[in-house]
Amino acid sequence: MTDALRNVSAIAKRELAFYFGSPIAYVAITVFLAICGVYLFVVYDFFNANQATIRPLIEQIPLFFILYIPAITMRLLSEEKRAGTIELLVTWPVTDTQIIVGKYLGALGILAVTLLMSLVFPLIVGSLGELDTGLVIGGYLGLFLVGAAYAAMGLLTSTWTQNQIIAFILAVLLCTFFYAIDTMIGSVWESARDAFAALSMKAHFANIARGVIDTRDLVFYATFIVVSLVCAVQSLQARNWK
Amino acid sequence: MIQVSNLTKTYGDLEALKGVSFEIQRGEIVGFLGPNGAGKSTTMKILTGFMPQTAGQVTVDGVDVNRDGLAVRRRIGYLPESTPLYPEMLVYDYLAYVATIRGIARGAIHNSIDRAAGLCGISNRAGHAIGTLSKGLKQRVGLAQALIHEPDILILDEPTSGLDPNQIVEIRNLVRELGRERTIILSTHNLPEVMATCTRMIIVHQGRVVADGTPAELQSREEERPRVRVVLRGAPEADAREALAALPGVDRVQNAMAAEDGALALELQAATGTDLRPLVYALAVERGWQLVELHRQVLDLEGIFRKLTQVV
Repeated sequence: MTDALRNVSAIAKRELAFYFGSPIAYVAITVFLAICGVYLFVVYDFFNANQATIRPLIEQIPLFFILYIPAITMRLLSEEKRAGTIELLVTWPVTDTQIIVGKYLGALGILAVTLLMSLVFPLIVGSLGELDTGLVIGGYLGLFLVGAAYAAMGLLTSTWTQNQIIAFILAVLLCTFFYAIDTMIGSVWESARDAFAALSMKAHFANIARGVIDTRDLVFYATFIVVSLVCAVQSLQARNWK
Repeated sequence: MIQVSNLTKTYGDLEALKGVSFEIQRGEIVGFLGPNGAGKSTTMKILTGFMPQTAGQVTVDGVDVNRDGLAVRRRIGYLPESTPLYPEMLVYDYLAYVATIRGIARGAIHNSIDRAAGLCGISNRAGHAIGTLSKGLKQRVGLAQALIHEPDILILDEPTSGLDPNQIVEIRNLVRELGRERTIILSTHNLPEVMATCTRMIIVHQGRVVADGTPAELQSREEERPRVRVVLRGAPEADAREALAALPGVDRVQNAMAAEDGALALELQAATGTDLRPLVYALAVERGWQLVELHRQVLDLEGIFRKLTQVV
């Protein structure tokens, strides 16, 4: 195993151990599933809709994620800065890129576990009627991509401050912005809506959630994540500015 | 081994370092001394590669800290000021994490932890969460962290600050023990600490090195112009002052605090290294004054430190 891989996996494992070694991850996932359940069975009124579909929930989760993912990522670097552990971390033989990637993979781990747990809803729906599995697979791929993009944004804002709350609020604002940029701009400037759809996570998510996997959407998410992470590395290196 | 030349660092308008230079040989235990804000931590942060200098150069065995930071960082064990640790982690897990990142092979990690924890006296705390430990024990965990990869250079930023006197003695003994086979730089504003552990001291003040040498060297440099305290009885002040000032080798005569009533206390500042005491004695005998006190005053390290770091 190379040094880089070893460092990245050690950092990612430490993050996962932090979340799952304390009640934080369990409480967060439980609350998230409860909110999904309330939405599906109470707000959407699944049993009276008389249709065995999970689609309304899948379309709603990106909105829940706007609060859920930043809550997970807010401490990733801000806490290291506040506690001063960043000073040890960066004076160990690891590169800033390894630190960012390791932290990011830790956050993706939580995202993956959360999505895995939420499979309980498609299972319930499937036990009641004919479930469109293609839609579920497409929907979950879309959710993972949206969650991963939010996590990259959350990690970036967490490098900017030593205050977790500020990191959280900035991440929520930026995620909201990039999720609904076309809707927001479209509401005041109708003709620009389609142009800004290219930048909107919601527009790119809609295609995948419908079960249409288009490389343009995948490239959009990949670009969004890579740009956010590169900015996070730059922000960590800002201490080197003379 | 460590060469620091003309280091400067500015934070915005603040000049934290104004051209710091020194050289450290293998095996030295160097006490980096200065009042708060003198530039000790800044120098250490640059040495460990946490942040770069504004100008100047730091090399370790010829390798530039800025050019090949990873290579230098591998050889250094660092304990930052205030000992930042992860409170939720168990001592063992934390040391295993550090060992992994330090590149210790998986099979050897357990032994490295045993060795470092044993050296720092925390073997029986391996299963405790770091957050539940006392300050002294946390300090030891921080030291074990710095030692886990057996570095040949240890940089400790105020390793004893905030500890109680017993813990301070324990950490000092540990540092001395470690210094047998390593180069150690430790910063402190505590003088007894330097005298107890260090083979050399570098005093920094307002971003500059104001003294550099062994404690004995610094002391003897100050003793080149010794002061002598004289207490006389039965001597008219004006007479005595005049006569003492006329002695060869006396630079100045000052009033000093008298320990008893009716006695005249004076302090003589020598112009050269000559011992003034025999001359003072002979004078007192000649004039028939009672010489009740004659004392050559040695400026101790504390005095030297205060003299060098007074804000002018």
